[in-house]
Parts: sequence; structure tokens; C-alpha cells
Amino acid sequence: MNISTKYGPPEATNGEPLSCTTETTLKPEQLLELYRYLKLTRLVEERLVNLYRQTKVVGGVFRSLGQEATAVGTAYALQPEDFITPLIRDLGAVLVKGIRPRDIFAQYMAKAWGPSGGRDLNIHFGDMEKGFIGPISHLGDMIPVMTGILLGGRLKQKNFVGIAYIGDGGMSTGAFHEGLNFAAVQKLPLIVVAEHNQYAYSTPTSLQTAVKDLAEKAAGYGIPAYIVDGNDVIACYEVTKLAADHARSGGGAVLIEAKTYRRKGHAEHDDQRYVAAGEVEWWEKNNDPVDRFEKYLLQTGVTKDKLDEITVDVVREIDEDCAWAESSPMPEAEQAAYNVFDNSIVPPAFRPKVLE
Amino acid sequence: MSTTVKKEHKSARPERGGQATMVEAIRQGIWEEMERDPSVFVIGEDVGAYGGAFKVTDGLIDQFGKERVVDTPISEGAIVGAACGAALMGMRPVAEFQFIDFISAGFDLLTNYAAKCRYRWGAGLPTVFRGPCGSGVRSGPFHSLNAEAFFLNTAGLKIVEPSTAYDAKGLIKAAIRDPDPVLYFEHKKLYRLPRLREELPADDYIVEIGKARVARSGRDLTIITFGAMVLTALDAAEELEREGLDVEVIDLRTLAPLDKQTILASVKKTSKAIVLHEASRTGGIGGEIAATLAEEAFEWLDAPLIRLASLDTPVPYSPPLEDYYLPQTKDVVAAARKLAAY
Amino acid sequence: MSTEVVMPQMGESIAEGTITKWLKKVGEKVERDEPLFEISTDKVDAEIPSPAAGTLTEVRFKEGDTVEVNTVVAVLDGDGSVPSVKSVAEKPAAVEPPPPPVEAKPEPPPPPAPPPPPPATSAEPTVEDLRRTKSSPLVRKIAQEHNVDISKLEGTGLSGRVTKNDILSFIESGSPTAAPAPPAAPSQPTAPAAAPTAPAPSMPAELPAPPPPRPQMGDRVESMSIMRKKIAEHMVLSRRTSAHVTTVYEIDMTRVAKLREKHRDSFYERTGTKLTFMPFIFEAVNKGLRKFPIFNAQVSGEQIIYKQDINLGMAVALDWGLIVPVIKRADDLSISGLARAANDLADRARTKQLKPDEVTGGTFTITNPGVFGGLFGTPIINQPQLAILGVGKIEKRPKVMTNSDGDDFLAIRWMAYFALSFDHRVIDGADAERFLAFVKEQLESGDFSV
Repeated sequence: MNISTKYGPPEATNGEPLSCTTETTLKPEQLLELYRYLKLTRLVEERLVNLYRQTKVVGGVFRSLGQEATAVGTAYALQPEDFITPLIRDLGAVLVKGIRPRDIFAQYMAKAWGPSGGRDLNIHFGDMEKGFIGPISHLGDMIPVMTGILLGGRLKQKNFVGIAYIGDGGMSTGAFHEGLNFAAVQKLPLIVVAEHNQYAYSTPTSLQTAVKDLAEKAAGYGIPAYIVDGNDVIACYEVTKLAADHARSGGGAVLIEAKTYRRKGHAEHDDQRYVAAGEVEWWEKNNDPVDRFEKYLLQTGVTKDKLDEITVDVVREIDEDCAWAESSPMPEAEQAAYNVFDNSIVPPAFRPKVLE
Repeated sequence: MSTTVKKEHKSARPERGGQATMVEAIRQGIWEEMERDPSVFVIGEDVGAYGGAFKVTDGLIDQFGKERVVDTPISEGAIVGAACGAALMGMRPVAEFQFIDFISAGFDLLTNYAAKCRYRWGAGLPTVFRGPCGSGVRSGPFHSLNAEAFFLNTAGLKIVEPSTAYDAKGLIKAAIRDPDPVLYFEHKKLYRLPRLREELPADDYIVEIGKARVARSGRDLTIITFGAMVLTALDAAEELEREGLDVEVIDLRTLAPLDKQTILASVKKTSKAIVLHEASRTGGIGGEIAATLAEEAFEWLDAPLIRLASLDTPVPYSPPLEDYYLPQTKDVVAAARKLAAY
Repeated sequence: MSTEVVMPQMGESIAEGTITKWLKKVGEKVERDEPLFEISTDKVDAEIPSPAAGTLTEVRFKEGDTVEVNTVVAVLDGDGSVPSVKSVAEKPAAVEPPPPPVEAKPEPPPPPAPPPPPPATSAEPTVEDLRRTKSSPLVRKIAQEHNVDISKLEGTGLSGRVTKNDILSFIESGSPTAAPAPPAAPSQPTAPAAAPTAPAPSMPAELPAPPPPRPQMGDRVESMSIMRKKIAEHMVLSRRTSAHVTTVYEIDMTRVAKLREKHRDSFYERTGTKLTFMPFIFEAVNKGLRKFPIFNAQVSGEQIIYKQDINLGMAVALDWGLIVPVIKRADDLSISGLARAANDLADRARTKQLKPDEVTGGTFTITNPGVFGGLFGTPIINQPQLAILGVGKIEKRPKVMTNSDGDDFLAIRWMAYFALSFDHRVIDGADAERFLAFVKEQLESGDFSV
């Protein structure tokens, strides 16, 4: 099977600061919207880190710093009726699908007004209307679930595609294999975006898989593959557009490998002791997706003032949404007992009284 | 923007004995067994250079090399299966699940291969499957599991869960030396709890698998529990003592096979029992213990058996929800009061 | 409005963190999200941003301190401690009323189906009935073994259930601590029992024990000796049994002292034992007990038993505790007999050579804290006796006296305080005064034959 590398990463940087793919079908206002999502993703995460250190977020915080372009660019290529199921590092895709920062903040802060009412954390929730299926912590499990979404869509005679995000670690699971194999056999319009960010928690890709490019794995399922520069938001957009067209037109499942780099640890409590000295700093200096896109935009005539204006607006939105989330009460304790089953049939799971 | 600073990498060989938290005690135990027996090796996700998600295996790779501290892909099936295969070859693998929640991805090999091997063809598998379990740490539905009930109904798996640093070390060493598969659950809330820091003996010791511990002796009623709930039970017992109630607390330590002797002796003495556990109530180990008492201590019972456990729900994330979900000290105190007054 | 800054939990199992650096000083202003301090934990080192804007008013831990997560480490006083909802409200476009989250606010579910009501027919026993008549497997087993009808006992458990303790104490006592259920229709009052053995009716119900103290580092812990445990039980029992009242008299012992001085040497030569103040006091008490027999009595239920013999207990302090040997039939003894008996018992108490019957059967006790210098105490009655006399230090004191001309003068006299503790259940204050006044009169008269 063929692996398309048209949107792959550049061979070498030869010292020139990187920009983005110049050939694009995106309109100027779409480019600015993409920029806004990139900044929103990064700044929402920064706010989450502060909330975590201020003990307002009681669970972990998982950053996508340095790889935001993959989530934002790929999701931006979808239609409103299309579905995504992201990984923890795909906050950008979740925001592009229309989930508001305030839901993310409330969810992280375990608040009653969060979409799961405090029952689950971070982006572990869903919104069928917006085509967002939240993940669980067990990696790989969402591949067969998205396969089922698409199977259901076909049975209901609906024509939409779905992106299931996976990483270099999650691809080692049994569930990944079983789900993708089934989707491929069924020629379902599944787009697997494999984010090759080089670390699964502390484990480097070399201990995860013997292939060089994750895209090689597509051959085992008989599906086409693309390699894309995951830090080039335009390339991510364009390659997903191609993949989505392929899937939507009956071509079946595809695999996109996005080459990127995870600049933070697995979570905020991870000190990245396993990372070689200077590696993170190199990526920060030479291959930051936001820097690259800013450079591209400035090259195409967008003014610095325009970009600053967008950033100010993003900060305003974050301030407002964060304040809203912080003003939410914590959930009522008794809510813990509800909604295991349909409570009109099975009563809530209250603790039985002792010797009453 | 706040920064995060890399820690100085500490890989010095731990002391033998001395003051230790539970996480240090487990590490000492594995370390000593690896020194004692070259067939012992560690396998799991991020167990090498990173030292495991909870740093249980911290430093082992520097001492024993990557041949004996094997980092795996995210593949619980591969971890369990490979541990079984290596055990067949005479090795003694200590396999880590990053969180016990992920044991589900290795469930097939654990319950169908590991558990049945000796029974089918006489091939015992000296394997240890360990990892952090337990709730109460705001980790939500996928990082808070207490998994024992999934495996109690699988013949062929021993299950242990310590509640003290001493037992943690003694049990991991006993598990490694055991000829059969042992699931070794570590409550993550206890790993670094200052209250559990204690002086460990410098000499080699084990805590026998299959033996419960009387964590506190008393005459009025018995609380049978294990893991982090031992602390809840002891706190409750202390509060009840002020009201003149003398509560016995049994720390099971081993969940399979159950130490019926200790449980029965205690309940025959006190005639009243509460079974307390952190996993959901329905289908939990509490039912098994209550049934055993009803069968084998019926004539000694002076009150109904009480089960106190978590709600029959997933583990919720938000603090008020999780606190409501888990049995709290006050719940134990209230139940004990009622039972005493029965 | 102030904001508390806490030690964050950097990782699920992290229990504590060390403050490595304060980036702000008390009194300094800090912006929200501005770095406030640095910490180090088992997993990671991190800079902690301020949770709010304001002034740092309090720093509770210094650099190098290790504190548990969620401990308050600093306090901010400030302008913007909590993100103001008001500022959001000013931009109404941005806020909508909180949506009722689909999952969090389910439609009020129907209440769980109540258990079916018990059948109305009275033939079916209620849970309460079953508890009373069936009790528990254990109690049924004990009842069968001892041939006891559970339904005839009154229980202290739920619904009046007979508990394990109820039936065990019923069997042990041979008669119920919890009285049997009264007959449905008593026909006539029952006659009082001839030989009552029941415990005092005034015994209060057992109170919950206070929490026992816990040893601290460096404390020494040792188990009580059997003697100590017995003393402890005995003392507490006494305080719970009797209504203790103590009255104190000062008695002039000068005449007794003179007698003692006069006869000291000859007495020793004659009897081989030392002449102390005690035999005189014993004799005075003997006379008092004969005159006021209630002080030589015991309470049994609702009856008072006046003892025939006067058996004087005398408390002897030992290095390892306390023992009260008894001088049997003390009023049959002369001063020398009393002196010999007392010294002999005390010597043998200190060498552990007392016989069991020499420490039982006392009817009144005398204790002598004065040998150590004590002026007076409030002794605890030695059950089942009704009174105890404590003799304080006998020493020379200035005393105002009056001569035959009616003139007052200061005299140096041998004085001592006598403290009598008595059981006010059966002895009233006036009786105690009369008794002690009588003893005083005897001692001050110095009318003894040595």
C-alpha cells in the first residue's frame, strides 16, 4: 500500500525558521480562525496548569504543548456532521468541534456545571450534537467505538466520517488493532490520526514499535496512509481534507501519521527525566506550531496587530469562561448515586441503611 | 508562566530496612529479591528509566540493567502473556500495571491462561502482577479501581493487598517466592502516607500469604477489612473507644485464599461483624466473607452481618461525589453503634 | 476577603511537598497567577502561581519545611481572591444561567419502591417480636444450653432484644441483672426477701469510659500489678457505691503525748514493742464505735447490718502499694494488746507474711497519712464499711487556751487533724459530728490505762 508523504515534515531546517505549507485551499478568514483555535488551545492549557497548581483542578493536567497543530488542523477539516474521538492531548480538536472552554474548565475543576457534573474529569465527556465522543483512559478502546459510530451511521444511511485519534503508545494495544481491522474490512469511513509525539508517558517510540513510521502499519490493514508534518497546521488541514474525501466517497479507512513532539511530560507531575538534555528546548526554539503559523501569517500580509487582537480576544474568552466555571458550585454529594441506570426503572444507588 | 524543574535522578540502592513508606518498602522488597535470585525480573510500562508511574521501580534499571527491567509497549496483554511465558522458562517475573484499572486489558490472559495453567497441565506460574489500586485520590472512573472482585471468582489467582509498610515488603517478597500467580494490589493513597512510615527490620523476612492480621484487638465487635480501609476502621475504632465500645479490626492482607481461621476466631469472640471494603458493594468480597460467617459461625452470631462498601456506581471524580461514594469513618462509626446496640 | 494558599498535590500518591523558596515576602503584593513559591516533591519540582491577587499577609511555613498536601501554607489578603462573577455578569452576553447538566440533574427519579407493608393480620410476628423472641443464633444456643426461656428475659438490645451480654450476665448472676419481665397482672405485692444479696439499688448505670491516654515518645509504659488493679477497682467501686462526706476535727493530743512519753521506755521493756499514738486512737475509736454502732455497720440492699465485732482495719503503706490488715475484735484488746497487734501486722505486711484472713473482715478503717506529714485528707471508704478515719500529722502547734481566770494565753500543744469520711446514704452529718466529737473528747481527756 502507498504512503503519501506530500505533506510530510521538511527534511532539514538548514537554520531557516520553519513556516507552514503555502499551498492551501483555506480562505484568509479561515486562516485567522485556525490561528484563534491554536492560541485558544495553548492558553486554555496554560490556565489549567495554573488552576492545577492552585489546587483548583484536583485531578491531573495533560498538555498538548508543541503538538496543538495536529489536533486543530485535522479537526478543522471536518464537517459539522462528522465525528471525532480525541485523546487527552487533543483539546484543540475538542475546541474546534465547538466545545466551549468553560465546559473544559468546569470539568477539570470537578464542578457541578461541568458536562459530567463532576463525575468524570478533563475531556472525558461527550456531545452527540457536536460530534464529540469523549475518550476513556484505556488507550485504543475508542478505535472500535468510532468504528461502531460509523457502522451505525451507515445503517442509518447517514454520510459522515469520523476521526479517531491515537498515539504511538496506544497503537500497541489490542483494542486498536481489533477496531481498525474491523473498520478496514467494513470499508467504514474511519480516519485514524496517529499522533507520533515520540513518547508514551516515558517510553520512546523505539520501545513501542519496530516500524520507523507509524504509517507503515496501515499496510497490515490494507488501507492507505499519509505522513504529515504535525506541527504545520495547514498541512494537517489539507491532508485530513484528502483523507476525509477518500473516506466519504466510499474508499474506507485511512491512517494519517502526524509527526510531532510532546514538549511537556505525560502530565504535570512528570519531570521528563527520560528526555535527553536540550531536546525539548530544540523543539521549542525551532519547531513550535504556533510560532510557525504566526510566521506564515505575517509572511502572507496579516499584521502583528491583527494577531495580538485575536490573542486579546482569546484571553478575554478564557477569563470569562474560567470565572464562570469557578463560580459553579461543587456537585451535591448525593448526585454520586444517580444515573448508573435509567433511574425511572432502577432507583439511584444509595448506600443501604444499616439495621433500619 | 510557571515552570517545572527536572528532578535530580536518585538511583541509589535503598537501605535494607530502616524508616520506610509503603512505596519504599515495596521497592526494597523487589530490590532484595532481585539481588537474591537472578531469575527475578521486572516488566511493565515505564518501569525502567522513569521508575514507574508511582516510582515503585525507581533505580532498579541502574542496578540490574534493562535486561531485567523491561519497558514494554502499552500492551497489558503482552505484559501478562510474556510474564507467563517467562515463568514457564523458570523466570520469576514481577509485572506492573500502571494503574490496576488497566488490568482489564490483560484480563483474558490472566483469567484464562495464568490462572488455569497448573490445573490443566501441572505448570505452576511463579508470577507477580502488581499495581496501584484504590480510590479517594480524585482520579475519576479510570484510575481508581479496586479490582479484587473481578478475580475472586477465578480459581488459580492469589490476591494480596497490604495496609502497612512492613506487610507491603513482606508480602511482595512472599509473592515473588510463591510458586503460583499472585495479584499484588497497592493502594495508591497509602504509597507515601506519612502515617504509614515505619521502621523495617534489616533482616530478610516475609509475610506469609494467606494470613490475616489482627490490627486492633477488641471484644465488642469485629471490623473485617483490608487496604486503605484498615485506616478508616482504626480511626472509627478509636472514636468508638471513647464511647466505651471495644472494636476489633482484622486486616485481611490476603484476599484469596481467605484466612477463614482468623476471621472466624474473631467473630466467635465478638459475635458481631462489619465487613468493610472500598470496592462497590454488590458482588464484592464482603458478600463472600458474610456468607462464610453465616455458614461457619452462625451459632456464634448475636446480630446480623453488616456490609459497608462503596456505592454500586463507577468511582466519581469530584471530591463531594467521591467522598459520598466511599465509606467514611463516620459511616463506620454509625454502623458500629447500631450494631453494638442491636 | 482573604485567600488561603495550599500545598498542591503534584501527582496522585504524593502526600507532602517541601517549600524550597518563597518568591514573595509578607506584605508584598502579588498578582493572580504570579509565581508565589517553589516546591519540591517526590516526583517533580515546581513553581506555584498565586491563586489570587492580593497582599501576602501570612507565611505559615519557612523554606525547607515539608508539609502535607492541602495544608494552608500562606494567606493572601486581597482584592481579587475569587474570580468575580460580577465582572462576568457585567457582560451578560458571556453568561447564561448554568445549564442543568443532563447527567448531573436527572429528572427527579421516582423514590425507590417501598417494601410491601407488613400484612395486616396480627398472626404474622413483627420484626420487633422476632427480635425479642428469637434474639440471635448465639443467644438461642446459650439459652438452650442453660435451659433459659429467652422470652422471659428483658433485653437491653434493639426492640428489647436479649443480647449476648444480657443472657450471659443472667446466667452468671443466677438472677437477672435485667429483671425478668413483670407478670402481666401482679395480684399482690411480694414480700421482701429474707436474706437480701442483691447489690445496692443506688448503683448508677455504667458510664462510658473516657478515652485512655496514649503514651508519647519517651514515656514508660508498664502493666499494673495485680494489687494495683485490685486497689483501682476497689477505690472506684467505693466512690460509686457510697455517698462520701468528710468532716475534720482538730484534736489536742498533748495528754496522750505525755502519757506516751511517760511510759515509752517501760512499755518497750514490758511488751517488746514501741508505744505510738495509734493504740490510743484505736481505743478511742473502739469506744466511739460501741457508742455509735452505725459506724460499725454495713449496707445490704435496703437493709443495714450492725456488726457484732469491732474489727479495725489499719492502712499500711507499702513500697509496692497499700494493704489494710485487720485487728480482729479490737475492743477486746488493751493499749498494749493494740500496740502489739498493730506493730505485728504492719511488720508482716511489709515482709509479705500476712495470712488471707488477716486482711479481710474489717468493720472500720483507720489510715494514718500523718506519718508522712499530711495534715488531713479525705479518705475513701473501704467497702463494705461505712466510715474511715484519717489521722493527720501530730505535731506541736500554738494553741489559744483559756486559764481558770478566763484569760486567754498561747500554749504549745500536740495537735492533729482527724478526718472522718462517712457514707451519707445511712449516716447523717450530725451522727458523724457526734462520733468524732466523742473520739476527740476521749483523746483529749487522756484517760487511758497503759
